[in-house]
Amino acid sequence: MAIRDDFEVAASQVRLAVQRFALVLLVISAFAVMLVGKADTVLVENARVLALDLATPALEAIARPVAVANRTIADLKEFATLREENARLREENARLLAWQTAARRLENENDRLRELSQFREGPEASFITSRIVGDSISAYVRGALLNVGRKAGVAPGQAVVSAEGLAGRIAEVGDNSARVLFVTDVNSRLPVQIERTRERAILAGDNSALMRLTLAQTVQGVQRGDRIVTSGHGGSFPLGIPVGEVVQAGDGNGVKVRPFADFSRLEFVRVVDYGVTGLVAVGPAPAPPSSPSGARGR
Amino acid sequence: MRADGLLARLDHWGRLLLPGVVLLFFVLLTLAPLRVPYASDILPLLPALTVFQFSLVTPERLPGPLLLAMGVLLDLLLGGPGAPVGVSGLGFVLIRAAVVANRRYLVGVPFLFQWIGFCLLTLGYVLIVWIFTALFTWTSLDAGPAIAQYLVMVVAYPLIAPLLARVRPRDPLNVPESSRGTAQPGETTT
Repeated sequence: MAIRDDFEVAASQVRLAVQRFALVLLVISAFAVMLVGKADTVLVENARVLALDLATPALEAIARPVAVANRTIADLKEFATLREENARLREENARLLAWQTAARRLENENDRLRELSQFREGPEASFITSRIVGDSISAYVRGALLNVGRKAGVAPGQAVVSAEGLAGRIAEVGDNSARVLFVTDVNSRLPVQIERTRERAILAGDNSALMRLTLAQTVQGVQRGDRIVTSGHGGSFPLGIPVGEVVQAGDGNGVKVRPFADFSRLEFVRVVDYGVTGLVAVGPAPAPPSSPSGARGR
Repeated sequence: MRADGLLARLDHWGRLLLPGVVLLFFVLLTLAPLRVPYASDILPLLPALTVFQFSLVTPERLPGPLLLAMGVLLDLLLGGPGAPVGVSGLGFVLIRAAVVANRRYLVGVPFLFQWIGFCLLTLGYVLIVWIFTALFTWTSLDAGPAIAQYLVMVVAYPLIAPLLARVRPRDPLNVPESSRGTAQPGETTT
């Protein structure tokens, strides 16, 4: 009996030691994974893409019923305000028709002037419409997952637009999935211009709801309410996609821009295939390709 | 003595796999676009809560290597350029180790103590993730969203934890193995 007790004690001690050792081993392997991820970005990128491709079907299965439920709730809410909504839309329609006339006239005029000056237009953009199947939102990331990928013609660096304006750019692409980095992400640097003054600047995200406008030559020229559009510099984005609106300027705290896209209710987005991917490097690009490295120095 | 029918075996495997499957589901749910207010605040820490709660009630069914794998998967899926892959795994493993080492203070005690334990451990988890993400991206990250997530999760814990705690092992006493001695539940000495 005593021998058996001794054996039990020894066995439990061994078990304890193994458990402790297992913990140390696990912690070490976690660090190893982190280091490998830091050293070999290509490997991590491939692993990410693989994980995305595997998870996308499951996420789609989760997203569908959620979308249906949300749409039902939205429908019910809309029923209550149907009459007011109708009146508002009729009014807006009348206003937009007037704008349409103006736009048609301007387009014709523009075409004729371009013919006169033999202006060469940039490449024609085509769109790939996609459903958002996943939010890639944590405390440190602002992004989303799309259910289209390389097979549909999506490539890293392409612009992603919602109905309201620019949402972000493609960061990673799998066969049937892609990750969008929103313009509000801390890693996002976007060449833009102020629509009114045609002044160029860099729009930087900081993971909050607002973005910072940096590198504007004369910050004084920026006013509240100015629209910010993409400048097309860097080659991967078309010119003039609306991005946001200046909500804070000229009080010493820098220029803050509110994005037009409502990231909390994005469901469908369009990936803009602009034909050229310009300066965007193929493969993993941890830093936004279009931003000069000097833009980060603060 | 043991029933060895198909149902019994299904039951056995179901119980064995349930915690891992629930954790995997929550890892995927972290990415699901739920258009619910505060959902995006709760979701990123939901796997950590699952790890804490299951380590409390049934640690043997959520082994360390599995946690590491799940954490790596979560990091891969959450993405973010430059963010460290594996930091969630490290956090999960440490949460499990801390819970297992302190079962005496966390199991069979009033719920308030479990809540306090959860608050402390999750704070550690959030800190670890913040520190490593800041180190890896070498930027002074805004800790605001992380703190907001933490506070929301602390408030949400009493709502979610009891549901998860229902996956307890058959042993109703739920005593730590070390203090149970050699006696098995239901065993009679001859």
